[in-house]
Amino acid sequence: MSPGYQVIVSGAALTPFNRRKDSSSFRDWTFAAFSEALLKSDIDRNEIDALFVASESDFFTLQLNPASVIASDLGIEGVSTVRVEGGGASGQLAVHAATRAIQSGHVKHAAVVGVDPSASMLDSETIKKLYGFSFDAWVDGMTGVSSTALYALSFQSFMQRIAIDENRHLAQVTIQNRANALNNPNAHLGRGHSVDEIVESPFIASPYRRLHCSPLSDGAAVTILSRSDSLPASRKKAPIIVGIGGASDAVHLGARKDPGHFQAKQSAMLRACAEAKITPDCIGIAEVYDAYAGAQLQAIDALGLSDDICKDLDSNRFAPTGQCPINLSGGLMGQGAPTGAIGVGQTASIALMLEGNYVPALQPQTIPRYAIADTHGGVCTTSAVTILEKSVYV
Amino acid sequence: MSQYTLSLDYKLAPGWLQSYTDGLAEGQAISWRCTDCERISFPPVRTCTCGQTAGAWVALTGHARVQHYTFGHDGTFALVRFDGADTSAVVKLLSLEKVLALSTSVVRPDELTGRLQRTASSFAGLVLKVNRLGKTA
Repeated sequence: MSPGYQVIVSGAALTPFNRRKDSSSFRDWTFAAFSEALLKSDIDRNEIDALFVASESDFFTLQLNPASVIASDLGIEGVSTVRVEGGGASGQLAVHAATRAIQSGHVKHAAVVGVDPSASMLDSETIKKLYGFSFDAWVDGMTGVSSTALYALSFQSFMQRIAIDENRHLAQVTIQNRANALNNPNAHLGRGHSVDEIVESPFIASPYRRLHCSPLSDGAAVTILSRSDSLPASRKKAPIIVGIGGASDAVHLGARKDPGHFQAKQSAMLRACAEAKITPDCIGIAEVYDAYAGAQLQAIDALGLSDDICKDLDSNRFAPTGQCPINLSGGLMGQGAPTGAIGVGQTASIALMLEGNYVPALQPQTIPRYAIADTHGGVCTTSAVTILEKSVYV
Repeated sequence: MSQYTLSLDYKLAPGWLQSYTDGLAEGQAISWRCTDCERISFPPVRTCTCGQTAGAWVALTGHARVQHYTFGHDGTFALVRFDGADTSAVVKLLSLEKVLALSTSVVRPDELTGRLQRTASSFAGLVLKVNRLGKTA
């Protein structure tokens, strides 16, 4: 059981993740997602007493202290506001910060906002350069190395330990995530790819080709988290946050014992499982951090979701009808990757799935008891895992 | 959409990394050796995995062996181990395209070796010029 008060995901909503061309801003997306999540929560705006905002970089938004602006836009000025940042993990870390605040008893209802304009405000080369400073800016960043290149080096190290068929298994992940995204109306890159199309796309950083990479996206996601003793009676089917875990790893890839192993993710998962009093094999749905196709395989390994990744890929264990569907939303590769919104969006998605209210074409017919949202920053330097349990009333 | 341009001109202070960054400007690999366990980190890690913060700056030869390399639109980079170091380093590779172009078969990482290059400024990062073992690029 979680420490202190129980935390319920009373409301959850995501805007479309894509490249905006309609002159709307990140403040508009936040407003839209918050309005929808608040409506679902059946909680009055005046009952919100804390706001947690995840946004990776002021360079993306051109807005320092974004929580202050968002609180005013949402009409909840007066609440306590916090901005949370941990690279790609920012959104999940905001979920964790809000969860701990509610568990402490000091907060009854918290709004968790994840948002970033990662596509439309700056050109992709500028974003790529900024992402290069997500690692040790003073050391790795100065070489000009890109995020893709660092992930590629880590994945090559992973392949020394796990016998992955580079072309076939990377294609399987790519095809599955983009196929899932085809059924998600909010997704950025719903596509039907062929293996040939994938292996003929150009190398960005070998072995990663263009189609193995997640896109830069705009978007927002919001969850309303509530203390169980303050939850409206109408929301008794809402899922419970039963375990959260965070961990970090050496920032230098080369300083790690095994540069291919996501040790921080493994530690975060074990901490979340210990809090939930479950083991990884209890997980029935997973939204994992697939910035690249190989990163999804590294995540499956570190999270303990498979004893034999290749065999499970080939037997469709992670497909929508499999025993443990992974990235039903399409993941970062298919749904998209507005950085601050990723983790909040993952938690919002699995909350909707556990309640039976996800996108109809992707909603699991048999709802498992437990689901995880897994997010990380850097090459899994900062990791955050959240475990949700479905309500007994579902 | 409105256009807005922001130009930033940073002045970077190397702080504790001064010996390391000064070394790069001279083409020298200056590592950090832990006082207790004698683990040598390059790039330097301020607090050793054993918990010790005391140590000494030690010059390595600047020669390194490639463990993994990557190429493509984003450039050529590698994870390498400098001789004498107990940790690996991410470096930008020079001459990899030339090595690959001269090869008629797949070049394994362990066939590649290289030497740290002098950089234009102390904050230019690690750059390694590579050769295939037994050959000259």
